[in-house]
Amino acid sequence: MKHFTNFSKAVAAGALAVAMSTAAMAADGLNFPNLTYRTGPFAGTGTPIMNGQRDYMLMLNERDGGIGGVPIDYIECETGYNTNKGVECYEKTKGDALVTQPWSTGITLQVMPRTNVDRIPILAPGYGFSPMSDGNTFAWAFNPPVSYWDGAYMILDYIAGGDMSSLKGKKIVLLHLDHPFGKEPIPLLEKLAEMHDFKLVPIPVGLKEMQNQSAQWLQIRRERPDNVVMWGWGAMNAGAITEAVKTRYPMENFIGIWWSGSDADLQNVGAKAKGYKSVSFNAPGNFPVLDDIRTHVVSKGNSEIKSEADMDTIFYQRGIIISMILAEAAKTAQDHFGEKNINAEQLRWGLENLDITEARLEELGMKGMTPPLKMACDNHTGHSGAWMLEWNGEEFVQASDLLTPNRELIKPLELEKAADYAKNNAPWPGRGDLACN
Amino acid sequence: METLYTVLIDPFVQMVEVPDFFLQVLWEGLVSGVLYSLIALGFVLIFKSSRIFNFAQGIMVVFAALSLVGLHSFLVPYVGNEFVAAAIAMPLTLGIMYALAMGVERMVLRPLVGQPDIILFMATIGITMFLIGFGEFVFGGENKVMITEALGIPTGAIEFEPFGGFLLMEEKDVFAVVMAIILVISLLVFLNKSAMGRAIRALGDDHTAALSVGISLSTIWVLVWFIAGVIALATGIVWGARAGVSFALEVIAYKALPVLMLGGLESVSGAIIGGIAIGLLEKVFEIYWGQPLFGGNTETWFAFIFALIVLLFRPQGLFGEKIIERV
Repeated sequence: MKHFTNFSKAVAAGALAVAMSTAAMAADGLNFPNLTYRTGPFAGTGTPIMNGQRDYMLMLNERDGGIGGVPIDYIECETGYNTNKGVECYEKTKGDALVTQPWSTGITLQVMPRTNVDRIPILAPGYGFSPMSDGNTFAWAFNPPVSYWDGAYMILDYIAGGDMSSLKGKKIVLLHLDHPFGKEPIPLLEKLAEMHDFKLVPIPVGLKEMQNQSAQWLQIRRERPDNVVMWGWGAMNAGAITEAVKTRYPMENFIGIWWSGSDADLQNVGAKAKGYKSVSFNAPGNFPVLDDIRTHVVSKGNSEIKSEADMDTIFYQRGIIISMILAEAAKTAQDHFGEKNINAEQLRWGLENLDITEARLEELGMKGMTPPLKMACDNHTGHSGAWMLEWNGEEFVQASDLLTPNRELIKPLELEKAADYAKNNAPWPGRGDLACN
Repeated sequence: METLYTVLIDPFVQMVEVPDFFLQVLWEGLVSGVLYSLIALGFVLIFKSSRIFNFAQGIMVVFAALSLVGLHSFLVPYVGNEFVAAAIAMPLTLGIMYALAMGVERMVLRPLVGQPDIILFMATIGITMFLIGFGEFVFGGENKVMITEALGIPTGAIEFEPFGGFLLMEEKDVFAVVMAIILVISLLVFLNKSAMGRAIRALGDDHTAALSVGISLSTIWVLVWFIAGVIALATGIVWGARAGVSFALEVIAYKALPVLMLGGLESVSGAIIGGIAIGLLEKVFEIYWGQPLFGGNTETWFAFIFALIVLLFRPQGLFGEKIIERV
């Protein structure tokens, strides 16, 4: 409601932003477009993440003058999580772009072939297509720090208490959005069900049913599963958690992927959702980097958050992590090539050779906020692991030590599906002329 | 044989063997159906009086719910009490919906009087786009919590133990059903017994004849859009109480389309009966046939297929008027 009273301020800020972006475009800068979804049915997921991403980049500009002294030109193009609009946004922003951040598995799959031709790296942190990890097939695509298959494995490993054989005879429901994103974990979960002899029951939720999942939860009541794993996005999460409370499903047996762990989704039911869990590649806390953002961005009125309390949310802090990964990749490329104004191909190298150590995280004021991350030519994800978070009725708290995926099990499946993708999209360029060094 | 058993025998065996679960399915279907009816009513009222298919009905639900929640959060720091803030926010939201109705009539409908129906339909798409943009600018796109308790809506659950099993009814769902019934009865009384209501029906029957006897088109349009706004607010409150207030509520309006196909665009009783029928049938089909045969998620298409089958036999819908045009 503050917008009512701040209308003139908003108009002035808008005019200033246009002026500033024009100036930034004219000057040398690191052009980082972001295909955001602050509107539409999924805005609840998108807005806090994009606020975190934006604020970290603004903070670097304010505090350090950008990366290596080169200002960041952070541009948002709104997709509303719509694949067609996402492709339009990609085409519109690719001109001087050093990277593209598609922000939807559907958009990622659409733009992936184009980025090979345009030679622009895709950065899809925590989403996209799990086989993107195979850098020899997907030379321009990166999905750090963990893939959906990593997430599926870590959730099951947590349920099994570290002993997958204990899943034998259990029934596990996968409640998923009926969308490419929601179907992503199915190949790995089917493989694990076959290996460990548990029953997997996938239950899809259509886009129009996100707010009314009574049929899905009636099925869950009938199936009486031991656990429910949720692959939800946007409004689906709040809808599912509300129905779970209504059905009196034991919350401690209900676990979501990292996009199903937004504070805003849980606040709708509050204490009734106590015990609900979500795996997450960022842990909550009050980290020094937040003080810098508060000083250089929020207190100057340049953030889009509604109140400072938003900075404590899981999704806002995840946005910071995502921008940090991109900024560190740019720095890696600058250091390696000895050039401040890097190009897209150099940034691709920076992403492929990214090594964010524990010491570096401490320097960045993010120690304990996310696990150390190291990528390589044949590892475009990093697979650095995640923590299990638990809703205590008011907020998410860390509920496990660092969980890590079983790479020996997942990697062969990634290579197989990557090879299938390349075959089905022949001629697929693979690494082409890109050396691995 | 196994498929035949799954289609023809097993569903009925399950209904008899687990009757408490079947009752739960029927209750959930009834609640969904009542809510579909509410959305469909908004469409019907506007179509009846102006022959406009109001594409903006879905976004009006979002806008009304966001206005209520937004005004409430704005007022709480000033009045210091959640309930008082809700008591003030409610009439203010109704005021906003009235202002919206006036604005639509003055700026969109009045200049387009006499234009083909498709132009007016396109204008409602324009209203949708405006409300999306304006709503996101004012309230932001994040999920918000409906002020269920501040509005005095009960949030507990009633549990029964029929046939030795259990049947759970959320009090807010019971509230939604009761409120919808009261709203529909009030609307029917208003349409049938009041002068204004008769004027709306007269306009629906024949625009020119209604105008010739002195019925004011502008007044009726404002009134009808305001009533549609009130229905949108009621819908926003009950849907928002279930799963939060966000722009995702807009997609719920699409669920009303098969209801309108089934019930007919001009019929209030068609909207009510059509909504309840679709709510019940799609839920029963999903649970007993959809999930075993199609892997679930049949609710996205079942209602449309069902409505299309009805249209094959009654092109005007179950309760729609048969329009005969002589050339």
